[in-house]
Amino acid sequence: MARADAEFVEFARAASGRLVHAAFLMTGDRHEAEDAAQTALARTYASWSRIHGDDAYRYARSVLVNHLVDRWRRPIREYPTEELPEQRDDDVADAVATRRWLFAILGTLSPRERAIVVLRYYFDLPEAQVADELGVSVGTVKSTSSRALEKLRGVGAEAPQVHGTRR
Amino acid sequence: MNEADRLRAAMRATESTAHAPLDLAAVVREGRRLRRRRRLAGTGAAGLVLAVAVAVPVALRPDGPPPQRPAEAITTGSVATPTTAPTASATPDARATPGSTDRKPVGTVVSSGIRYGDQERVFYFVPIGVPELPGVKIGLVAGRRDADGRLTPDLLINDVEGRDRHAGFHQIGYDQQGDRQVLPPVPTFGYFVGPATRIVGTVDGRQVPAELARWSVDPGVVIFWFEPTVLTPGVRLDGIVALDKRGERL
Repeated sequence: MARADAEFVEFARAASGRLVHAAFLMTGDRHEAEDAAQTALARTYASWSRIHGDDAYRYARSVLVNHLVDRWRRPIREYPTEELPEQRDDDVADAVATRRWLFAILGTLSPRERAIVVLRYYFDLPEAQVADELGVSVGTVKSTSSRALEKLRGVGAEAPQVHGTRR
Repeated sequence: MNEADRLRAAMRATESTAHAPLDLAAVVREGRRLRRRRRLAGTGAAGLVLAVAVAVPVALRPDGPPPQRPAEAITTGSVATPTTAPTASATPDARATPGSTDRKPVGTVVSSGIRYGDQERVFYFVPIGVPELPGVKIGLVAGRRDADGRLTPDLLINDVEGRDRHAGFHQIGYDQQGDRQVLPPVPTFGYFVGPATRIVGTVDGRQVPAELARWSVDPGVVIFWFEPTVLTPGVRLDGIVALDKRGERL
C-alpha cells in the first residue's frame, strides 16, 4: 500500500466513528448514516493529495453534512433501536430515554437546522466555522441556532438527565 | 444545564461503539474512481458514459402533448460548447433505456446549447405512472434532439416517494456507468420547485453554477443542469443550494 493510502486509511479509521454518528444524528437511520460517511470519505480520498491533517477532517465533515442537507431533504424517518453495548439495566434505560429525547428534538428540525445543530453542538464548532462549512452567513447560523434551541425548549421540558458520556 | 449543554451531552452520550466498521477498501476504490474522473475532466478528455434510468419502473402514458419550442434559459450563464464528438452507437441495457419507450414531452423541450455533432442536449418532462406512487406523475428526461427534431431520451429521473411538486430539490440525475463509455455524457441535471433564480452546486470545495430554465407548464418548476465544462458528468455534487432573486437561500 502506498504511503498516502496508508495515511488515508489511518485517518479514515480514526474519523469514521464520529462521521457515522453525525450522519446518524442527521438522518436517524444507521445504514443511511454509514453510506453517507462512506461517501464523504471516498470524496476525501479523491482529494487526499491536497488536504492534510485537520483539513482532511474538516473536508470530510463538510462533505458529509452538505451531502446530507442537500441530497436528503426529508424529515428524520424513524428512531431505530440501536444496538447498545452491554450495560447495567439502569444504564440501558437511561440511554434509551436519552436517545428518544434526542431524536424527538432532532425530528422537529429541518435538515439544515439539524446540520447546524450537529456542527455546533456535536462537533463544537464556532458559529463562523459552521457558516463557512455550510456556505451560509454567520447571521443565518445564529438565527437558525436560536430557532432550533427554541424548538428544543418546546419539546425538551421532560429532558432526561444525561450522566456523562461514553467518550 | 441549559438546552445547548443538554443537547451536547445527549449527542455524545448516544455515540455507539457498536457500529460496524466501514468498508475502507470500498472507500478507497470509490475514491480512486472519483479521482480518475476528475483527472479526465482536468485534461479535457470528457468521458462518454452510459446513462441509466432511475429508480422505479414507470408505465408509459403516451398521451402527452407534442414537443414545443425550446424554452429560454433564465440565467445568463455561459453558452455551452460541444464537449464530445458524436458518439458511437450502441444498444444499452434495456433497463437503462427509457429511450426505448416513446413518451411524449409534456410542455417545453428545453435547449441546453450543449451539442454533439448534429445533436443537441435537451431536457423535458414526460408523463409517468407508478401505481405505488400516486403523487408522482412526471419525470424529467435528459435526451438528445436530432437536426430533424427527433428526440432520443438518455436518462429519466423521477421521484421515488412523496409528490413530484413538493417544494425544493427532487431527484438529481448523474451519469452512473463509470468506464462504460457508450453514449454522450449526460450533464448533471434535475429540477427544483420554488422561486429559484440561481442554483449553485459545490464539488471538491468549489462552487459551480447551474443553468436554469422554467418549465412552460408550471413556472414554479425550475429545470437545471450543469455544463460539462464546469462539472464533469458523473461527478457527484457535495452540495447544492437554490437562491431567490434577493440571494436568499431557499
